Amino acid sequence: MKVKDVAKRWEVIIFLLLILEILLVGIFNSSFLNIRNILYSTTDFAHISLVALPLTLVIITGGIDISIASIMGLTSIVIGSTWSLGAPMPAAIVLGLLSGIAAGTFNGLLVANTDIQPLVITLGTMFLYSGIATGIAGSLGASGYNGIGNFPEGFLSFAYGSVGIIPSSMIYVILFAVFLGLILHRHRLGRSIYLIGVNKEAAGYNGIKVKKVIVIAYTLTGLGSAIAGILLTSYFTSARSDLGSEALLPAITAVVLGGTDILGGSGTVLGTFIAAFFLGVLKQGLMALGVTNNVSQVVIGLVLILAVAAKLGIARYRKMSGNKRISTE
Amino acid sequence: MGVEDQISDSSSSPEDNLAALKGIWKSFNSVAVLKGVDLTLERGEIHSLLGGNGSGKSTLMKILSGIYRKNSGKIIIEGKEVNFLNPSQAHEHGIYLVPQEPKVFPDLSIEENIIIGTKYSLGSKTREIEEAGRQLGFTENLSRPAGVLSIAGQQLMEILRGLLRNASILILDEPTSTLTFKEVESLFVQLKRLKDRGMGIFFISHRIQEILEISDRVSVLRDGVFVLNETAGNLDEKQLISAMLPDDRNPERVRPVKLSASDMDKPVVMSVNNLCGEAFDGVTFDIREGEVVGIAGVVGAGRTELAEAVIGIDQNVTGEVAVQGEILSRRNPGTSIEKGVVYVPEDRAAHGIFLDLKNLYTTTSSILPKLGRIFIKNAKEREIGEGFIKKLGIKTNGPDQIARTLSGGNQQKVVISRAMACGPRVVILDEPTRGVDAQAREDVYEIINGLTDAKVGILLISSDLEEIIRLSDRVLVMYRGRIINELSRDDLTIENVTSGAFGVIQ
Amino acid sequence: MKAVKDLLKKREAAVFLLLVVLVLGVGIVNPIFLKPDTLKGVLDNSLILILIATGEMFVLLTAGIDVSLGAVTGLSAVVAGLSLNAGISYGGSILLAVGASLAAGIVNGFGVALLEIPPIIMTLGMMGVLRGLMYIITGGSWIDTIPTGFKNMSGVSFAGISVFAWIVIVMSVVMTAVVKRFKSARIFYYIGDNEEGAFFMGISVKRGLFFAYSLAGLFAGLAGIVFVSRIGFIPMQTGSGQELRAIAACVLGGVSLSGGVGIPLSALIGGLFLTTIDSVLVFLKVPAFWNDAIAGAILLVVVLLDFRFRMLLEVKEKKERLKYIRISRNNETGVVR
Repeated sequence: MKVKDVAKRWEVIIFLLLILEILLVGIFNSSFLNIRNILYSTTDFAHISLVALPLTLVIITGGIDISIASIMGLTSIVIGSTWSLGAPMPAAIVLGLLSGIAAGTFNGLLVANTDIQPLVITLGTMFLYSGIATGIAGSLGASGYNGIGNFPEGFLSFAYGSVGIIPSSMIYVILFAVFLGLILHRHRLGRSIYLIGVNKEAAGYNGIKVKKVIVIAYTLTGLGSAIAGILLTSYFTSARSDLGSEALLPAITAVVLGGTDILGGSGTVLGTFIAAFFLGVLKQGLMALGVTNNVSQVVIGLVLILAVAAKLGIARYRKMSGNKRISTE
Repeated sequence: MGVEDQISDSSSSPEDNLAALKGIWKSFNSVAVLKGVDLTLERGEIHSLLGGNGSGKSTLMKILSGIYRKNSGKIIIEGKEVNFLNPSQAHEHGIYLVPQEPKVFPDLSIEENIIIGTKYSLGSKTREIEEAGRQLGFTENLSRPAGVLSIAGQQLMEILRGLLRNASILILDEPTSTLTFKEVESLFVQLKRLKDRGMGIFFISHRIQEILEISDRVSVLRDGVFVLNETAGNLDEKQLISAMLPDDRNPERVRPVKLSASDMDKPVVMSVNNLCGEAFDGVTFDIREGEVVGIAGVVGAGRTELAEAVIGIDQNVTGEVAVQGEILSRRNPGTSIEKGVVYVPEDRAAHGIFLDLKNLYTTTSSILPKLGRIFIKNAKEREIGEGFIKKLGIKTNGPDQIARTLSGGNQQKVVISRAMACGPRVVILDEPTRGVDAQAREDVYEIINGLTDAKVGILLISSDLEEIIRLSDRVLVMYRGRIINELSRDDLTIENVTSGAFGVIQ
Repeated sequence: MKAVKDLLKKREAAVFLLLVVLVLGVGIVNPIFLKPDTLKGVLDNSLILILIATGEMFVLLTAGIDVSLGAVTGLSAVVAGLSLNAGISYGGSILLAVGASLAAGIVNGFGVALLEIPPIIMTLGMMGVLRGLMYIITGGSWIDTIPTGFKNMSGVSFAGISVFAWIVIVMSVVMTAVVKRFKSARIFYYIGDNEEGAFFMGISVKRGLFFAYSLAGLFAGLAGIVFVSRIGFIPMQTGSGQELRAIAACVLGGVSLSGGVGIPLSALIGGLFLTTIDSVLVFLKVPAFWNDAIAGAILLVVVLLDFRFRMLLEVKEKKERLKYIRISRNNETGVVR
């Protein structure tokens, strides 16, 4: 029971913070307190959530993936380029998805089979994937700010549609969150992820297929990035290699703020989901105050540093007071 | 002739001693590891410390070298009382500890490795180091990166570190456990040279033969007290071994002895054939249904490495392992568990238990596929967890309690429950009662009994010789990678097992 | 094996050789490439990257990472630009700019060394903070006007090479000498090669980490100055992504991402190499948009090759050791009967 309480505590806290935040923003901008508006504001952040959710799994295993933004761009370009070369839209989308998944799998294979740090590997692949995306875009004459456009109507509704008052993008996020949540919290794959994150060696000794689990975790991140890439392409009606280039910072912040330990071993999908929401509302709120997108980075950056520092500080404090009790010196 | 008579008088006054430790007490978590011990070291003397696991010799040396702080007592170096707060202060007083695992900076030059942390600048001491190295038989070029050194070379490098810091007292902690015979010989020649130059050397080892070869004096530590302190020339193996034995030899078996007559008829449940690896060689043995085969030995004997090779954690081995007649090719922990061989690791915290998760998660960590086809059936999982809590008498609030908050004994029970959950045919227990309180220990013995009643074969690796004798039907004694003796129930005496573990066959 | 190992160690020499071969090779295909003006241009183009890479190198030596350096460069450029436009002297503007970047580095150092925040988190967060800060102090607009005199500084030459280039080269050479000779400068290597061991040997790990990140900020600041002088205007995206190219340059030049290996010259050669590749691609009529992909592929290949080599060496050493142990075991068991 004690464990459940602890787990519940952080998600509840961040949820309460979210409510508080919405109310605060509402004070400055009364139109914000409309449910429709609140939900609409999530569309801006949907792509971050889509990436932060699977990233949670990767970070729980003790790893990290900084190539997510590049995979988004790569997916976008693959869709755009195959479309402009004459492929039917559904095929282009599928190809885009596959390329994102493949990118994630490649990351996972390298992480699982070498002792090179995940940070280093995904640094290299980030470079590689964004480079490939830029290269493909360039050879089709779509470099820089132009991108590839002229997509069919149906595709555009992907990002802009809605079911009732809930925007489609939020539905995708919720579906993905449910999917990942089920895996992480109810399936043995998720259990393996926690075991690996808490004690990778012990997991191996206990017969867990560590390599397989790691590959799957990174593949899921590739999938999330791919879906985010599709969403962004639809949202901007243009396929560009630099889509989502600013996503890394908010995504990692969402994961950490959601209660996941950056060193691995703990975290929940729900926490990340709420935290992403929190950051999305934060951005909206700042915008209402006249703070532009670019400047809100300062706030997000600070949130990241403070969240991690605070968690480390608390852990160290607990350890020290624990030691004081047992020490005989 | 009591044990007390064997302690010789200190023939020199404190001022003559190079080092004197008096009345040293040290406790960890209110368990006393050193109980008011005295020890001296003379100039030009090699003084060996001998004792079983947990006897306190390593702790004492770490206190001397500034890594740990004593709870009470005095340390006197060359007549002056000192108090070390950290290793650097010990260095300043001429004390250097050569750790069991040398601290190497692989990409930096050997020379730089040696002067790290000292006030000397690069290149200012090259000639001195070269000269000292030459005298130690150190042949490696100082400008090569330290990563090229073998373990023996790394040790010499650590000794050079001590020399550069003008150490007058050198402490060697189990220096020979990873060395080949030739390397040991070489090291001994160097140690003798150093001793001739007036250095005092503390030498910690498990190898009686080596101790008798190299030492001027030998002290035996048992349960935190020195029980023997004598000139090496006056000692032989027998005396050393009996000094290490507890006062009550041949403890009675609390539970009925299993009838050994029918043992040979029982089917073989696991057989190991000529297993060879880095830490062991030519290991061959069988385990029968319901039999407890004990493997006795000391640190460095290669027992844990053997166990890890059997279940496939270490893949660089040759030889065969067969379970119920079926040869296991391409072993790994997962397939071993499937075939019915489960390993309860020696290092519980590092390899056996998930400390920051519910104890339930550790219990079920090896049987995840069995918890449900698609999703984990929580109810089923809890049932398993609660079942084991009851069956093994694990003192906990329930399956949800975080493992870290359980006592050592209960943590061990959780690890064992994980093994039992697999429904194994063979359980390899590696130091199952290390860090476990007395009551839990008895519980674990009951559990083992229960397993053997269920026809499970047990391979018991333990440094607790009483434990091995109490539980085993047969004992294999392992020394430096080889099984040098097999003792049946009738031949089992604590002397036999102990001496074999220390390399002496009687 | 030993010869290859030695070669790997002198990576800087190998890469430099490769560079020369590359240049000559391209020159054969397109002789314009070998004209002094072209080569001088490549050198000048590489200065910014080299400076950032030099800063990054110190952090990499300690087995850390700094992804905020691009933003630090941008900050420095912005501060310089604003100061110049506010009428502050050249010297004063430079001081302010470098001061700002040094301050950023110090904050990073504080977070990593004292608060023990993982480097990726600290520097990622700082990147966001600094980028936002840039917007705030410029009000979101580019800085278009830089005093001509300041811009002309980049054009001053001496013996055919620009003064900036001279400064960077001399600095790199001097620093390499310092970092190889002076014990106090070796601290980065100690921390990177065996942080725990360094702690045991009495090295102040916190101090070393602090200095590494502060130095990184300083060099990124210098890069910003060069940027302002050479480019002449400061867009909001200044420096974006440059830290990644800087890391690639370091790795190419021989800096190990796991710490303990590398010298300032590595950053120089690596930076030169990457910039040359860009130019080479232009001269070979390869579209510029493949640059990053190639750089990324090279980075990955280099990292993987390093790994493979290490693995091979380890396996070989283990096998030899095993043989050695077997032989000595067979000769003696050390058992007394």
